[in-house]
Amino acid sequence: MTEYQALQVRTCGDDLLSIAVANVREAQSLAALLRPDSFWLEVVPGLDSVVVQYDAAQSRPEHARARLEGLPRNAVDDGAGKSGTILEIAVCYGGEDGPDLARVCSELGMSPTSLVALHTGTDHRVEMLGFMPGFAYVSGLDPRLCAGRLAAPRQRVPAGAVGINGAYTGLYALPGPGGWPIIGRAAMRLFDGAKDDPFLLRPGQSVRFMAECTSGG
Amino acid sequence: MSILVERPGLQTTVQAGPRTGLRYLGVPASGAADALALALANRLVGNPPFAAGLEVTFDGPTLVFDTPATVALTGADCELTLNACTCPAHEVIRVRTGDRLAIGASRTGVRAYLAIAGGLLVSAVLGSASTYLPAGLGGHRGRALAAGDTLDTVTGPRTPQDCRTPDAYRPMLTHAWALRVCPGADRESATRDALSALTSTNWTVGRRADRMGLELEGPLLGVTTGGRMPSAATFPGTLQCPESGVPFLLGIDAQTTGGYPRLLQVNRSDRHLIGQLRPGDRLRLLLRTPAQAAEELREKHEAWRRWLPDIAAII
Repeated sequence: MTEYQALQVRTCGDDLLSIAVANVREAQSLAALLRPDSFWLEVVPGLDSVVVQYDAAQSRPEHARARLEGLPRNAVDDGAGKSGTILEIAVCYGGEDGPDLARVCSELGMSPTSLVALHTGTDHRVEMLGFMPGFAYVSGLDPRLCAGRLAAPRQRVPAGAVGINGAYTGLYALPGPGGWPIIGRAAMRLFDGAKDDPFLLRPGQSVRFMAECTSGG
Repeated sequence: MSILVERPGLQTTVQAGPRTGLRYLGVPASGAADALALALANRLVGNPPFAAGLEVTFDGPTLVFDTPATVALTGADCELTLNACTCPAHEVIRVRTGDRLAIGASRTGVRAYLAIAGGLLVSAVLGSASTYLPAGLGGHRGRALAAGDTLDTVTGPRTPQDCRTPDAYRPMLTHAWALRVCPGADRESATRDALSALTSTNWTVGRRADRMGLELEGPLLGVTTGGRMPSAATFPGTLQCPESGVPFLLGIDAQTTGGYPRLLQVNRSDRHLIGQLRPGDRLRLLLRTPAQAAEELREKHEAWRRWLPDIAAII
């Protein structure tokens, strides 16, 4: 069953190497394996790759590459089955908290109540953080809730905003610019700068959305 | 011990060192866009290279000191006056209580750095005191300075050792820049012509330019992705090109992942220069191999080490 195929590594800058993987869970799993090694200054998983940065003042490119190529391919698992406890996130849907709910509903041809029922009816999973500090890509969205991006991104979306786009729900841990339609807002603090570990959500975390209130239609 | 902001300037922020090791959580580098310039200012006033100072953008602030202070200005070339008398950059300036220090508009380069002996008193968030404006993190209340703000300074021993930066260690500012680059992760997304145009064009820095990135004006580049690319890691110095064909270069506040093809990556040795690229400036991109880039980084560190012993931790 064991397959000792070397990792596919390519140079993508004078201090950056990219490793190709099959999917986001493999990327997270490989990144978790590499991150404890202080040789890597940054270990950044994407949807189908992991990019590592090394200190080009200390190490030559071929040494960095050799360090990766020494890792056996079977060290990468897809992380399936790692779930743990489910975090419940209370969301206020629509109204000022979800300014795009009504428009998304009319595009999808469903009522706000149906949309909220579909969004709260299943378990979701945080797949990746990225783009902005603590922004969480959450899978598990019902395919009937597939919405496109906003024609013009917002300059500022508040912390806790809940957006949907394609196959993902996006959770904004901090305020920032955003191009996803916003359907609601989580009451819970997703970022606490006073903590050593300030981000509440991590990849692999299972979440369930709970409707605290729904307005608009 | 505080400094009153009488006039804030266009975008003046508290900046220190970068945030590191947190890109996987979406946390960008932030910190001084030209880290070398901040370190040079701190060197003059006897601070560690990444002590918190002020990053001034295009047009600077007017500050009134309610305490004696030792300060120095580096980076973009701009007018500096103390109580209406012109002061030179790259020299230690002694400020007395009640003095008014005014930093004018930059003429060459974009960002100037004001270091204050002892540093500014700001708390670290996610490992750095630097301001990250998009999320309102760090610095002075997570935002650019506003008129009426007061900045607290760290009191303590102030032991500036040198009065001025030697001429050999004053970075050259220009309106025609060259950045050394290596091939990026998604270079195959560009046509052969586009790849050759990237390194043969005399680009113009576009008007859309901030700490997150800047557009380059020149020929439109042929890029094919067959739809969007899967989100993947981006860094300061990554050059991306959407299918519109207009390339953009990411800056120190660059988002940590992106979905446009990454065609080139500016080499570590030259990334700090991105912070000085001014709309309308000309820019050439010089292609290197990673091995050449490593050698050039070593040479640059060697050249700076006598004045800045910690240069390898700065750029």
